[in-house]
Amino acid sequence: MTLISVEFALLWLASAILYFIFPLKYRWTVLLAASTVFYFWGGIGTGYFMLLTVAVVYLTARVLDKYNVEHKEYLKNNPDLTRDEKKALKLKNQKKKRVILSVGLVICFAFLVFLKYFNFLSQQTFGILGIFGVQAKAPEIDLALPLGISFYTLQATSYIVDVYRGKLRAEKNIAKVMLFVSFFPQIIQGPIGRFGHLAPQLYEGHRFNFTQFKYGLQLFLWGLIKKLTLAEYMGIIADEVFTNYNDYKGIIILIGSMVYGVQVYADFSGGMDMIRGVAQVFGIEMAVNFERPYFARSVAEFWRRWHITLGAWMKDYVFYPLSLSKAFASMGKKTRKVFGTYIGKMLPTFLASFVAFFLVGIWHGSSYKYVIYGLWNSVIISGSILLDPVYKKVLKKLKVNTECFSWQLFQIVRTFFLVSIGRIFSRADSLTASFAMLRNMFSEFNPWVLTDGTLYELGLTAREMFLVFLVIIVLFVVSLMQEKGMKIREALDKQNMLFQWLVVIGAIIFLMIYGAYGESFNAADFVYQQF
Amino acid sequence: MRTAIYERMIKMKEQLIKILAELRPDVDFENETALVTDGILDSFDIVSLVAELNSEFDITIGVDDLEPENFDTVDAMAELINELAD
Repeated sequence: MTLISVEFALLWLASAILYFIFPLKYRWTVLLAASTVFYFWGGIGTGYFMLLTVAVVYLTARVLDKYNVEHKEYLKNNPDLTRDEKKALKLKNQKKKRVILSVGLVICFAFLVFLKYFNFLSQQTFGILGIFGVQAKAPEIDLALPLGISFYTLQATSYIVDVYRGKLRAEKNIAKVMLFVSFFPQIIQGPIGRFGHLAPQLYEGHRFNFTQFKYGLQLFLWGLIKKLTLAEYMGIIADEVFTNYNDYKGIIILIGSMVYGVQVYADFSGGMDMIRGVAQVFGIEMAVNFERPYFARSVAEFWRRWHITLGAWMKDYVFYPLSLSKAFASMGKKTRKVFGTYIGKMLPTFLASFVAFFLVGIWHGSSYKYVIYGLWNSVIISGSILLDPVYKKVLKKLKVNTECFSWQLFQIVRTFFLVSIGRIFSRADSLTASFAMLRNMFSEFNPWVLTDGTLYELGLTAREMFLVFLVIIVLFVVSLMQEKGMKIREALDKQNMLFQWLVVIGAIIFLMIYGAYGESFNAADFVYQQF
Repeated sequence: MRTAIYERMIKMKEQLIKILAELRPDVDFENETALVTDGILDSFDIVSLVAELNSEFDITIGVDDLEPENFDTVDAMAELINELAD
């Protein structure tokens, strides 16, 4: 079942009606039932892996919680312990907890690694063995990837790490843990929620609130517009350029990657709006996954605005633990001696960022192109930090005003360009194809393609181009208003009822006339649900 | 006694502001109230800052302490250092 389907609309409607009919205390069971119907709609398939993950995180969290409670009780009952005794006790407790946490994490990630990367790793290993004369057929598994595994694994593991860190108490009801892991709007493409923020909202019953209901529907509609009147059309151009990349050179390749950037933003953020809209109808506020990423003035800032919940997961569970680990601290001492204070101090942090971005890359899929995609971003971010002092000196010497609008615009365009280059790796069919595209892009400077009609040969008619342009303008204006702190739906709510209806009905009519339906479109699929 | 603790806190806060000013001379630390929440300090800044604070105050700031509320203001940071130093 996909977000854009009659089945989903009916499930949403039925679950919303039942949710508000049920007693407050049991409303969460409606969400669980809806999530189970959604997840197993196409049959059990490999869905049992999700159930296994639920069982593993449930048990792991319970054991960790038991250790946390025992430790606190002991400290409470022995107030005279010295600082050193307390420290030793804490370490001992942490050691026990670490074993339990490791078992839980290894099992959860083993499912993901096995199902998502086994075939790739097997092919690579046997390919290398072949070089050394060992000829054998690489073993492969023929199992469909469980729905949403890349998303729910991160969400589920964040829960047990947070319990390990003592930030959360473990949930005693396994059915409630299952709801947290499998909440139906979000399981396919996120946002990757945190237990502390999402779970209490799922478990407590919400009373019907007309404003929340209305806002939810409006957000869903806005997401649908982004998906059907922008992403789908942009996808046609991107598909053309990325599939037939050898037919194009210079600026067309650049346009293809930029268009893909807009497509994937409209597709993914549109999907997020729809998902958050579905949840808001139940009174549930899900994590924000996008904050107008194309207004970012550096690649680092871009990653703080793009797929925020994935970045935050990597930061909290990979980057920080690595950067602050003893191994990295001692590495820092050594690198300072070799490279001096500034570079030496930063190197371990860069390495931690490198690992985090490598994981972001392969999280998208089992292919070398994703590895390079992750590393490209890491190199740009680390490189810009490393060169920052030099950069500032040069700007000062050239007397560049870095406070004015034109400079900030330049930074935004530069970031968009750098991100677009990275996108070539993530979207191209293979790593070889992405390098060929880069070669083609820099092999010719052909600005005349912008005016000689070439753009109309990329799959969209002039009318469709105009439509896409119009939607981009609307998206830009809305984003700009949000960037200035305006809350669009609240502002709309303050207008006269007639105007509010005009806007909503206008949007629906626009969607019905110009939405990308029909055989040539596959609107049911979202880019990120394949990950 | 109270004066001694107060003086220790003042001294520690001065040291903290000095470290922060060296790390990010462009930020007005004394008046900012959402350093992490508003993205003024990014994750690279936080890691550098933690390393400095650990060595300067002989404490161990763990991953569990890296919550925005502990780093959003100078006072919150001072409180964290004080707590860990005890």
